[in-house]
Amino acid sequence: MFWHNFKYTLKTLARDRMLIFWTFAFPLILGTLFQMAFANIESSEEFSPITIAIVENDAWKQRTVWNEAFTKLSEEGSDEQLFHTRYTSEEEAKELLETDEISGYLMMKDTPQVVVDASGINETIFKHVCEELIQSETLTDMIVEKQTAKWMANPDQMINDPAWQTRLYEEVNEILQAETTMVQDASPTKMSYTMIEFYTLIAMTCLYGGVLAMVAMNRNLADMSDSGKRVAVSPASKGSLVLSSISAAYVVQLLGLTLLFSFTCFVLHVDYGENFIGLLGLAVVGSLAGLALGICVAALCKRNEATKTGILISITMLGSFLSGMMGITMKYIVDTNFSWLNRLNPAAMIIVRLTRYWIRKRNRKKLCFIVRFTIS
Amino acid sequence: MSHVIEVTHLTKEYKKLRAVDDLSFTVEKGEILGLLGPNGSGKSTTINCILTLLSYQNGSIRIFNEEMRPSAYDMKRKIGVVFQEVAVFEELSVYDNINYFCGLYIKDRKLRKQYVEDAIALVELQNFQKFMPKQLSGGLLRRLNIACGIAHKPELIFLDEPTVAVDPQSRNAILEGIKELNRCGATIVYTSHYMEEVEILCDRVIILDQGKLLAAGTCDELKKLASIEEKISVEIRDLDEAHRLCIQEMEQVESLSYDGQVLQIIYKQGQDHLIALMSYLQKEQIPYHRIYSERPTLNDVFLELTGKELRD
Repeated sequence: MFWHNFKYTLKTLARDRMLIFWTFAFPLILGTLFQMAFANIESSEEFSPITIAIVENDAWKQRTVWNEAFTKLSEEGSDEQLFHTRYTSEEEAKELLETDEISGYLMMKDTPQVVVDASGINETIFKHVCEELIQSETLTDMIVEKQTAKWMANPDQMINDPAWQTRLYEEVNEILQAETTMVQDASPTKMSYTMIEFYTLIAMTCLYGGVLAMVAMNRNLADMSDSGKRVAVSPASKGSLVLSSISAAYVVQLLGLTLLFSFTCFVLHVDYGENFIGLLGLAVVGSLAGLALGICVAALCKRNEATKTGILISITMLGSFLSGMMGITMKYIVDTNFSWLNRLNPAAMIIVRLTRYWIRKRNRKKLCFIVRFTIS
Repeated sequence: MSHVIEVTHLTKEYKKLRAVDDLSFTVEKGEILGLLGPNGSGKSTTINCILTLLSYQNGSIRIFNEEMRPSAYDMKRKIGVVFQEVAVFEELSVYDNINYFCGLYIKDRKLRKQYVEDAIALVELQNFQKFMPKQLSGGLLRRLNIACGIAHKPELIFLDEPTVAVDPQSRNAILEGIKELNRCGATIVYTSHYMEEVEILCDRVIILDQGKLLAAGTCDELKKLASIEEKISVEIRDLDEAHRLCIQEMEQVESLSYDGQVLQIIYKQGQDHLIALMSYLQKEQIPYHRIYSERPTLNDVFLELTGKELRD
């Protein structure tokens, strides 16, 4: 019975034009549009280093941390280059700023002083980097002071341990590591807007599996279709019918995902990074969440199939929109103000997890959420 | 004869509406039972209750001497249903549709193949096996609908208005198919609005209205319930009022109607009024083209029992 129903459900789903459009064609069309739209945006937004000046006075020479930081961030040709730095006198720096040859300059006195005469993106980045350095420096000073006081409180220990300075250094370093948030781009290539869009596309396709599941379920419900009435009066076990129908829907869904991945990889040349297998695995699990959504709507909503399809497509599109499908800003707004929404939105869960795969972090929390969503 | 279906005091209510009201009847093995009633009389609700598609408030339903339950799979295996709506999959061919529904009852592939071919032959769809449902005409679609319901060779078949909106050729093929199923031993419950079909097919008829049983019996038994005995129709042109009044005054005349072309006279009792009427027409030298006498039909009985007012 299982295979009989599975085979024919597969046939009916695969021949349903409306389903084929939403599951197979629509994601491909959307993917192509994303590629066309965002490829141009990204090329026009390519980042070029900000030209700044640093007043090279005695105070500057004493600030080793600042010296090292700006040398690193100004390394020509490096991936991490943020600034194109010129070392000047104070007068020269003022002159360069007036003639708009630099975005701003840094001058060390008792405290670091950042001078800019506009409020653009370059100036903001420059000020932000300096503020970060001031904070790091303050934090380091506080930790050193605290740890030194600790050693000083126990002079016998200092006398007995000749390497106490090395130990103090190690302790400070350890605390710093724990206290500081390290931002590191661990992806093989730079992550772009387009990638986020493609992740939302994968999440959307996963959730469209809900329409397949709903249609497959309706085939067995006497109050939903005439054929369902015929199935309902048959001696076939309902459990077997539902399970085989959902399995068939899942197979069609996986075919849709395979097509999407093949198309985006080989035709649109989307780079999904090194952990592609993990990403595929997540799409497979995410599709189960989509199926669960479809089963839920099929079972709870006593409307006709067109209405149910409308509800599922609306949920999917809204979820994808809130996850950043139509612009990453929306995801930022939701993350900042309504983070609880992300715990209800399966599209957001899938996207977050996909992003994690991109940067190769082994955080299983979101995956658990997806599985929990599927089961509940 | 043993009861194949035994419905006792069945009551089904929808909020304020009582769709089936204390209904009791039996269906005997090997018979074709006609279930008649105007729209909304409770025919489909009764069938759906019997098939466990609907729950009911009161009464009991026994099929093959066992209580019918949603999980009575052994009983369901012996039942075939042809719904009023065409219940097939648009995405499957004629053969696949029949094979799919038959497969819900018959696991053995070889046997199923034979059954499917028999069903196709019964409804004469041999030349359309690879057609998709949307490529079929209304009549062919109805025949496919029947094949899907009876392919597993059930012992008890429910046919809910299977000939709605089909041409006379298809209707004839469907009726022949139903007779053949009955000859092969199937017990059939047949609902229809076409009285002549019911008269041709059914051994017994039940008339329902507003969920209640109004009458039950063979067609002849039901006709005896009618208050009319004979109906005479005469094609006459220009029959004046005086002559009409004279005819109206004749013995046993229940009512008279004239539309300028045909005079129809209904008699309460007796079956020999034709001679008297012809004598009168000759005496009065009234020319007429055709004259014929009819016994009351099932339609007359049905209208008399259920009333002539329009239903939804």
